[in-house]
Amino acid sequence: MLNRRAVLRLVALAALSRARPAAAQAPGDAEWKKVIEAAKKEGKVVVYNGAVGTPALPKAGAAFEARYGIRFELLEARASELRERIRTEQAAGKVLGDVSHNGSTTTALQLAENTFQPYGALPNGARPIAPFKADGTRVPIYVIPYGILVNTELVKPGEEPKSWKDVLDPRWKGKILSDDLRALGGGAVLFMVTTQHFGKEFNDKLAEQQPHMNRDLRGNYPRVARGEYPLYLPFTLPDILELKGLPVKAIKPVEGAPYVRFDGALFKGAPHPNAGRLLLDFFLSDEGQLAYGSLGFVMTVGGLESKVPAEARAVAQTSLLGTTDPKLQDEMLKLARQIYK
Amino acid sequence: MATLDISVRAPRTFVRGTLRRNLALAALVALLAFLTAYPMAMLIYGSLHTTPPGEAGAFSLDGYRAMLSRANGLVLLNTIGLSLVKTGLSMALALFLAWIVARTDTPHRDLLEVLITLPFYIPPILTAMAWGMLATPKGGLLNLAWTGLTGQREPLINIYSYGGVVWHMMQYSTPFLFLLMVGAFKSMDPALEESSRMSGASAWTTFRRVTLGLMLPVTTSAFILSFIRGVESFESALVFGTPAGIEVITTEIYHLIHHVNRPDYPQATALALGIMVLMFGLVIWQWRLLGGRSFFTVTGKGYTPRVSRLGPWRWATFGFCVFFFVVTVVLPVGQLIVGSFFKFFGFYRTSMLTFDHYRAVWDNRLVWRALGNTLLLGLLGATATMVLGGLVAYVLVRTRFAVRRVLEVLAWLPWMMPGMVLGVGFLWAYALLPGPIQLYGTLWALLVAYVTLGTPLAVRTMSGAFAQLAYDLEECSRVHGAAWWTTFRRILLALAWPSFAVGFILIFFVILRELSASILLYSVGNEVLAVVVMRLWTEGKAGQVSVIALVMLALVFLFRFAERRLVRTHLGRS
Repeated sequence: MLNRRAVLRLVALAALSRARPAAAQAPGDAEWKKVIEAAKKEGKVVVYNGAVGTPALPKAGAAFEARYGIRFELLEARASELRERIRTEQAAGKVLGDVSHNGSTTTALQLAENTFQPYGALPNGARPIAPFKADGTRVPIYVIPYGILVNTELVKPGEEPKSWKDVLDPRWKGKILSDDLRALGGGAVLFMVTTQHFGKEFNDKLAEQQPHMNRDLRGNYPRVARGEYPLYLPFTLPDILELKGLPVKAIKPVEGAPYVRFDGALFKGAPHPNAGRLLLDFFLSDEGQLAYGSLGFVMTVGGLESKVPAEARAVAQTSLLGTTDPKLQDEMLKLARQIYK
Repeated sequence: MATLDISVRAPRTFVRGTLRRNLALAALVALLAFLTAYPMAMLIYGSLHTTPPGEAGAFSLDGYRAMLSRANGLVLLNTIGLSLVKTGLSMALALFLAWIVARTDTPHRDLLEVLITLPFYIPPILTAMAWGMLATPKGGLLNLAWTGLTGQREPLINIYSYGGVVWHMMQYSTPFLFLLMVGAFKSMDPALEESSRMSGASAWTTFRRVTLGLMLPVTTSAFILSFIRGVESFESALVFGTPAGIEVITTEIYHLIHHVNRPDYPQATALALGIMVLMFGLVIWQWRLLGGRSFFTVTGKGYTPRVSRLGPWRWATFGFCVFFFVVTVVLPVGQLIVGSFFKFFGFYRTSMLTFDHYRAVWDNRLVWRALGNTLLLGLLGATATMVLGGLVAYVLVRTRFAVRRVLEVLAWLPWMMPGMVLGVGFLWAYALLPGPIQLYGTLWALLVAYVTLGTPLAVRTMSGAFAQLAYDLEECSRVHGAAWWTTFRRILLALAWPSFAVGFILIFFVILRELSASILLYSVGNEVLAVVVMRLWTEGKAGQVSVIALVMLALVFLFRFAERRLVRTHLGRS
């Protein structure tokens, strides 16, 4: 028997489901079955991935292949290269890619350029939890949170920076290794988020610390571990799972982690649209999400934490500080170039 | 030099036109135009349009206006200065090494010749990683050794500096220049030098005015090739220059394409085209320098290259070559070999010893597929490029056809354009190719791009070689009834075989390492090794990348020794 509260909840849910946009509505079983059959006939899906070398996507792809028997093919390049490739393909009418797997900023810019088509209703379309949301064209797949990497032999536990502002302490002058804060990527995310939350002064002061900037990303971890520099920022927190055995530690600053969200979207003119649609849905399934969660990335679907190994869960349990705003990106990049000459 | 300026013109047999010959020439021009001018035309369009090809927009000069800024002028001056310093130092070093190997009795010259060229074949990103570990001011192994041995507190070397950028670039340009010039040193009739000595010239004057003078086509070509490559160099400036605040044209273009919300193709392409125009100035200078002179060193008479007897100094020259090998190969490659056996690159603890990187590469299907594709493209691409380059060089050097200047300009174009911009030109050109031919998305798109990229090198290599061959050799063959193709194959190519082999190997390894065009043209199933290496590198798999680099080095050894064996057998038979 239903009590009053349960009835009210059902009514509220029914009202909510009516109010949802079409994209968030689940398709009927028969309709979805047709999508799966059509996808199987298409036989493969081609993903254009801007997160070059990420181990999570091939893992998700293998799970997708195993479940549907549809070949998962991956083409990787930098975000800007993929963007120009698909633009040219669409202009020439020779589209080879089906699904975009890229950072939310690039995806937003491509959306404005009319690169994608609506994917229609997905059975898992309503699963992402706030602040994440599938909007009918983009599916939020996972989140990369950023923190600080420290060398444990050079930095004693009591001296570790606990806050982003701690890295401004004069003792770290000349001792910070950093991703290039003037370039798209983790560096630009850190610059924009810290500017928005702590003001321009934060980066003015960070510039006075004379950080050694480059774009070698993962090549920088061994440099910190070898003791060349005691600190590296912004550190991709899930990467700490790969560095076991080295004298390094990941710090999650108290203010929270700047982050970048990775979105999936279906290219306009995709040669395998049904397989693409099926894959977008799969990204939001338990299996798809756990491919990312088990490697320490923040999942966009809630309630799966208990299924993630403890080590990865510890990494992913991070309060999020903020992310980039595509509309402000150019302005921020320009400002970063002025500050970090 | 005046004594050598004999006005020799191509024989009439080579200039008399026939319909067949004109058709062949037209086909050659059309082929080169498709390979080089077509992608370039797309880039010119991109530089003059507010949007890239295929998108609605308007014609505009904004890209060129933005290009003409004071900041870009300073960056350009910096780039030219950097490349001049790098090329000058490399040239001096390469000439000395080539002289040691080709014209002295230094012991084990055959082995030294192979060893000196090895640095060219190591992917720059790996030597950058290795030199980062060796010469970083904080904790670099060489600096630690220096401070430990001398008690000094300041590090000896800072690789993140102007000198560091020059040094890293020199590791590629020195063996590259050596490869281009050593063949010319070898194939030189000593009679000319002996005449000079008998006329009273000193050894130094003879070397300067006769030996180097006769090598002018080769040395100027090599200098220009290397200087232009220096202007377009990217990895060294990005890795070692950016942290030190050193900006060059390519890092600026990289910024315009990759580090802004909407890639600024008009300015990026305008900048690249502006550089191209400037670089053409150099080529015109070479035309004027060499115009009307003869540089024959290989004639119908038999000869053996003169070898200087160095006495006990031959061990000093031997030591110098070995020192070069140790610094440019043993130190960085030693890091790669050791690093490939440890879990984390640069952490040499027994608890971290592992074969995991070898196992991972062995088990990686993508690596094998990419290796297969790359070897196929390398062999096909290098062969096709050298044949095309040989034909173009023949027309340039050994005929008086009016169209030869057009061919020369077309053949130079790809060398003048930074790879990352030319890659975009290929993408636009192949994807938007009208008509029924589907090039984009196939393996052949990569092959066509590689042939285009290799053509300037092939033409320069073969031009230098052909310029040294006297016309009497060709005439003899024709007089004895041989057809043009037989003469070309059995006389010209046979005599220029060392240069052909060197060109083949250079292009093969240019293809093996090429990334800028590959990343924009590869498709699923058509992956190439450079793309896979980039993926592994970005993923932080330095150990696996080292394993692949070692496989590539093993290939180099194999190729170099096979080529030398072939050359020796072939020349012996001749």
